[in-house]
Amino acid sequence: MTTLIVIDQAPYGSWSGREALDMVFSLAAFDQPAALLFIGAGVNWLRKSQDAGGIGQKTVEKNLAAAPVFGVEQILAEQSACERFRLGEEDRLNGVELIPSVRDALDRFERIVFAG
Amino acid sequence: MTQEQTIQATLHILNKSPSHPRFATCLAAVHEGDTLALAENAVLAVTDSTTSLPRNCVALGADLEARGLAGNPNVQIISYGDLVRLTAEHSRTVSW
Amino acid sequence: MSPGLSYTLVITGAPWSSQAPQTALAFAQELIAAGHHIDRVFLYGEGVHLASALSTPPSDEPHWPGQWADFLADNQTPGVACIASALRRGIVDQGEQARYELSANNLRQPYQIAGLGEWVEGNLKSDRVIYFHGSH
Repeated sequence: MTTLIVIDQAPYGSWSGREALDMVFSLAAFDQPAALLFIGAGVNWLRKSQDAGGIGQKTVEKNLAAAPVFGVEQILAEQSACERFRLGEEDRLNGVELIPSVRDALDRFERIVFAG
Repeated sequence: MTQEQTIQATLHILNKSPSHPRFATCLAAVHEGDTLALAENAVLAVTDSTTSLPRNCVALGADLEARGLAGNPNVQIISYGDLVRLTAEHSRTVSW
Repeated sequence: MSPGLSYTLVITGAPWSSQAPQTALAFAQELIAAGHHIDRVFLYGEGVHLASALSTPPSDEPHWPGQWADFLADNQTPGVACIASALRRGIVDQGEQARYELSANNLRQPYQIAGLGEWVEGNLKSDRVIYFHGSH
């Protein structure tokens, strides 16, 4: 039973997205199938060339790039949100699959979880 | 990923105010046959002129009463015990 | 309705910045009344503030952390605060106080501090996992 963790909060401005990522990594560490979905402002997690040193944080891009290595099955993003935030294919991290809507994700995954 | 031929009905528990982005995301994700349970700030939806609620929509009575909306008849009013029953009846619950 | 289901409750909203602990407590009380079992209550993210022993609302206001602790004790329900969420937010038990050589500890009884593995186990073993999120 794959658990889909949904992130709709923009990166850096709050900690909830990072805590969502901890959840997905934790599932993977226990060999439980897990996937990530970014919607709304959350798709900005997926932008290339992030550098958060100037705001005193670690860049989340590296954590995300490691997700497949740690067993996260899929990284999905909401197409309309990518368009809204001008996140074209060349701007996005590799390996992200676009889906038309959250409704579509509800059809594909049994468990849907927001981290907060 | 598992793709099931038949999608079982889902219980959606929504606690965000109608002005929160997740509110609209939730409403767009509710399928025919699903149940939407409004809790906390989400019960303001019953008096929101810009929101049209799905057919199977219920709202926590205590939250409606707290906000002066208990007299609003356009949703079925439920208790916390009813909410427990709904989570038991649905194999899937999504908390928004 | 099918009586006797097992539940894991996850609270991610903090007292005083959200209604999540109140809603979750009313829900938990009705779960027990309906004959269901609560495997654990897992506090995550901002929800760990519910486990602070130092929360002290004015005496004429409801004491959500105290009410929750009483509920857990009365029903012998395990209450678990996620260790990573808790330590970041200054919720510390005796063990972590010693490990990090901190000046105090403040984990409210009967909570325990543990990892996200407790949440994973809830996903595996409980019939239902229900989340109570913040408002923001």
